[in-house]
Amino acid sequence: MKKRQISDESLNRIIKYLAIIILGFGIILLAIQFSDFWNWILRAIKSVIIPISLAYFSALIIFPLIKYLEKKGVGPRGFSLGLVFVLTVGLIFAAFYFLTPLIINEIKNFFTDDYPVIVDYINNDLRNEFLFGADLYDKIIAYVNETNLIADTVDSFVPKLITSLTNMLLPLLTAFALLPILLIFYLNDYEVIAERMRSIIPSKHEKNVAELSSRLNQTVGAYLRGQLILMVVLGSVATIAYKLIGLKYYFFFGFLVGVTNIIPYFGMLIAAVPPIVYTFIATSGPGPLLVLLVNVAMQFIEGNIFQPLIMSHQLSLHPIIIIISILFFGSLFGAIGVIFASPIAASIKVIYRFFTDLKKEKLKNSTTEATSS
Amino acid sequence: MIKINRPRIYSKYEINSIVFYGTMLLLMPIVLVFTYVFDAFTNNYDVRIYLLILVGITVLFTIIGTIFLLIKRDKLKRMVKATYVQEFYYLVIISIFGILGLVVLYKYLGGSPEYIASILVLSLLLFAYVLLNLGRKYFNLNYGRKK
Repeated sequence: MKKRQISDESLNRIIKYLAIIILGFGIILLAIQFSDFWNWILRAIKSVIIPISLAYFSALIIFPLIKYLEKKGVGPRGFSLGLVFVLTVGLIFAAFYFLTPLIINEIKNFFTDDYPVIVDYINNDLRNEFLFGADLYDKIIAYVNETNLIADTVDSFVPKLITSLTNMLLPLLTAFALLPILLIFYLNDYEVIAERMRSIIPSKHEKNVAELSSRLNQTVGAYLRGQLILMVVLGSVATIAYKLIGLKYYFFFGFLVGVTNIIPYFGMLIAAVPPIVYTFIATSGPGPLLVLLVNVAMQFIEGNIFQPLIMSHQLSLHPIIIIISILFFGSLFGAIGVIFASPIAASIKVIYRFFTDLKKEKLKNSTTEATSS
Repeated sequence: MIKINRPRIYSKYEINSIVFYGTMLLLMPIVLVFTYVFDAFTNNYDVRIYLLILVGITVLFTIIGTIFLLIKRDKLKRMVKATYVQEFYYLVIISIFGILGLVVLYKYLGGSPEYIASILVLSLLLFAYVLLNLGRKYFNLNYGRKK
């Protein structure tokens, strides 16, 4: 049998890839040797990236409004920016001013009215209604008391929780404190910054980069604006629906639906758990089935009507992709990573689609050239 | 003659008319929903007077809006878009609040609470049917189409 010869071109390519792989391993080895240094650099990059991306995403939401005002003759930029800024801050402040007392009041009421009832239920009624019999219940309680299981778990869990919360909250608070300042400067010089960024790019790629950034701004901006409206709408709808069916603490549960909806598809599922659990324990109000029905209806409306409207069919992300991106960006950037996982995934999809289109266009051009010659 | 089965694209005048009259139709339930959730009514306040005021305001807005639409008619008739996603999105949002408002209206008018779930489901189905047809015919959005 004749042995197949490897062409010089293939050999060159293999050597090139091998060199790249070895170089990559070398870099990784070096990075491991100086891991402390790299961690220090990465931490610095992370602390810059979070507020900058937050400002970028917020600008994508706000900038079209400034552009609209300018189109209508409201200017110069400083004035339209100020107007939008005051409006946004006012809106956020009003929402906090009116909603926070209501939610705090509901939480207070829960601890005064329902919490003692729940504790009483667990201590007394649960024993009689226990699925596997009162004997097993007594044995479990005796074991828990004997081993001091709850106290030990709480003792080890609470400090960990406080540490992780502090780790999570500190960058979050810093990012939110920096956000208004960054946003003002970014929005004021939006075009100038874009122009400067473009000037860094070699002229050969300038057209492609401009096209890609325009696509990114358009699709991700539309996605973020839609998601924000969806959060407000679904939060309000949940609050009203919960009140209509007679669920107590409807403001708190509705607020939960609105907040968790920042994570598409799964937010609604997460938000459905507390009211359903509550209706199982509560002595009055609607049954868990009715609450579940309301949540299923809302999930249906969100998944089948709103999501296709917000995201075009081209940008729609598969739920598995969303889970993976939430896990990945959540572990990289914490709470902010979870919040912005889907827009980042959407951006990656836009970039991928852009390069596929570019490749197709190149192929088409080369075929046309070949046929014409 | 070969008949081409191409959907008709409607002008902004038709779309704005649908959106405007839809909003006016649902204005009263939408306002009611927010008064209900924030407990704006005390027990001694007569709801019927409030409803009458709301009807009056809605009629006034409808007249003003109709005049405005008629003035802008020629200009709007020349404006055409391939699809009206934003407008449809708005219509869906107000319809959802409108449905909830209808239930609140039913409750305010003294309806029995045990039928609330049935009314909610029926009105939801009715609105979904109307919206899907409106979306397909006027807004050029077809949900049934495969990706």
